[in-house]
Amino acid sequence: MEQLVMSSGPHIHSGAQDRRIMLDVILALLPASVAGVLIFGIKALWVLLTCVLSAVIAEFLFNLIARKKQSVGDLSAVVTGLLLGLNLSVNVPLWQCALGSVFAIVLVKCAFGGIGRNFANPAIAGRVFLLLAFSGTVAGGAAPAPLFGAAADAVSSATPLELLANGAEGVPSLGDLFLGVYGGAIGETCSLALLLGFAYLLLRKVISWQTPVIFTAVVFLCYLISDGAQIALCEVLTGGLLLGAVFMATDYASTPINARGRLLFALGCGLITFVIRKFFGYPEGVSFSILLMNLLTPYLEELTRIKPLGGV
Amino acid sequence: MRFKKSISSLKLPHYKSTAGMAAVRMPIPKEVLLPLSPMNAHSATASEPVVQVGDHVTVGQMIGREKDRGSSHIHASVSGTVKAIEPYAMGGAKGTAIRIESDGRMEKCPELQIPHPTNLDEFLQCVRDSGVVGLGGAAYPVWAKLSAAQKAHISTVLINGAECEPFITADHRVMLEQGELIQKGVELLKEFLGSEEFILGIEENKPDAIQQLTERFKDDPAVKIMPLSSVYPQGAKQVLLYNATGKVVEKGQRLASLGVIIINVSSLVKMAEYFVTGMPMVERIITVDGSAVKEPKNLIVPIGCTVRDVVEACGGLKEEPGKILFGGAMMGKPQESMDAAILKATNAVIVMNRKDAQKTAPSSCIHCGRCAAVCPLGLIPTAFYRAMELEDEDQRAALLQKEQVKVCMQCGCCSYVCPAHLPLAETNTAAMGFLRGWEKNHKEGGK
Repeated sequence: MEQLVMSSGPHIHSGAQDRRIMLDVILALLPASVAGVLIFGIKALWVLLTCVLSAVIAEFLFNLIARKKQSVGDLSAVVTGLLLGLNLSVNVPLWQCALGSVFAIVLVKCAFGGIGRNFANPAIAGRVFLLLAFSGTVAGGAAPAPLFGAAADAVSSATPLELLANGAEGVPSLGDLFLGVYGGAIGETCSLALLLGFAYLLLRKVISWQTPVIFTAVVFLCYLISDGAQIALCEVLTGGLLLGAVFMATDYASTPINARGRLLFALGCGLITFVIRKFFGYPEGVSFSILLMNLLTPYLEELTRIKPLGGV
Repeated sequence: MRFKKSISSLKLPHYKSTAGMAAVRMPIPKEVLLPLSPMNAHSATASEPVVQVGDHVTVGQMIGREKDRGSSHIHASVSGTVKAIEPYAMGGAKGTAIRIESDGRMEKCPELQIPHPTNLDEFLQCVRDSGVVGLGGAAYPVWAKLSAAQKAHISTVLINGAECEPFITADHRVMLEQGELIQKGVELLKEFLGSEEFILGIEENKPDAIQQLTERFKDDPAVKIMPLSSVYPQGAKQVLLYNATGKVVEKGQRLASLGVIIINVSSLVKMAEYFVTGMPMVERIITVDGSAVKEPKNLIVPIGCTVRDVVEACGGLKEEPGKILFGGAMMGKPQESMDAAILKATNAVIVMNRKDAQKTAPSSCIHCGRCAAVCPLGLIPTAFYRAMELEDEDQRAALLQKEQVKVCMQCGCCSYVCPAHLPLAETNTAAMGFLRGWEKNHKEGGK
């Protein structure tokens, strides 16, 4: 008889696997990716592929050079690359896409110890980096160029948020906003696809509903009070709010580990987004709010510490 | 009264395939091996042998005398001849064991008498004589637990029939088959401890036991049968106490100071049995299950028979064993061989096949928070894991103190859910050991 295994308990496992979680996130991002390509044309596909490939290659090379255990198999680099791509406009040159991915992976993720240790969401940091480095081209400016059928000529190339900021002339209808047929980043416009992804993540228990719902609700309520229902709805459906709330404000590593901390995180994201959009007339509310709250994460965790049962 | 919010939430697969199987008596083993200590890490004290090699012993005869609260009387579980008094090791604990060769007659010790205590002290002495220990796994002598009543009034007795561990149905069978003895046990505690309230907590996955016992105690207002949600670790001290009474044992506090004791339902039954038959603890019901066992069963086994014996009584193995556990799939203790002896507190023997014994290699923490969400005590297990990665021992200790690793009860929920397959529960144990050592050195150094 061979040696018996002497490992200590528990002796069974839920079967959860980090790679499977990442795969679920990728699957949840597929509707938005497909919608992006349908809405903005084949160029969108090249942006997404460039971001994903450069993210994976960057992580692979970093591990090789730093002599770390190879980690590309956990698929988290794919998630980062895909998220970054979905956050970019089709007009961003491919070399900038690649640069953004490398920045996100190497400086934001790997340099801080790899998966689970990044202080900020790498994709958000990558987008903000590109925004600051090559201002203007990141999110706005791309008019829809449908893959099939003619481009709707009535749609302006400015994003609805820019239009709203300039006095709400020519803002697309709510139906178009919901389907995503308007100017913006590849993955942020089609609310329908994002909600499908949200439902899938909830179903797979990858994330809980609180963060996305609270984040969105806070923005909605603030606008409802200040500008009324029409504008509030428009604000919720545009500017990457859903993409950010569902996929980036729920990033495990850069948000608080406990439920109460995540609650505060979502509240903060919503408020900061509103303040930036409303009072600074700046459409980049979502990215900056998440990034700022990422930095506050350790403090939120401290703040929401609970007394363990039988502890002090 | 039932608290809506349960502090534990982990739903596990039950694997309780033996729940419908009445306990059957296994064939008399050729020999038994009776360790003189509880063979767990908590208590180092061992009982003293009171027989010699070559002595003839009978069932129920005392062969090991307890020394203090850490040990219990050991009684011969078969009749026959003492073959050896030899060193014995199990799971890191070392001790002495008495080997008895059975004569196959199961002759009862003629000196045994049904006890008739008249006051608390006499009652405790009788429980002490019975050799009954906590059968949920802790193996703490029951008399020592009950002796809290000498110092403070125990108003509430919480009877633990949760049996939250996967696979095990031994307590379930006890509740179905020995309801009368549960009643007897309650009567005894009422009489001698003067307790007014008895809460029998049973997980909802045992509806037959809930129904039968509710029926049995319907005329006794002091006894409440409390259905509990089937979540793990419902049977853990803090969890059961909170879910059944809303109380919490705070740091530095003892359960008895709340006027409560918790006793496992099988321990209560074993204790009661002694007052009915006069037979000390020499046998128990165990569940034998696992992917390598041919015919999983509930067995009535003499203490000291081996894994080999009980497996044979279950049709043998259908596959090469990969892992042998005493206890459940969550907190069970791995055994080194088929020759490991069943202890008083062994409620199950689980033999897993090679495939089930394999663990997935750990990857990296992704900070998903599942370990924290599932911890019934509100700890953050991954924080312990990260603390243990720190090189600086002072920093490590400071972080472990801040995160209160000592509160951890090693229930294993964190490891179970971890998508990175990190050995979190195991690390918590190591962290506690490290912190104890560090605090000891630190104290000495400071003085």
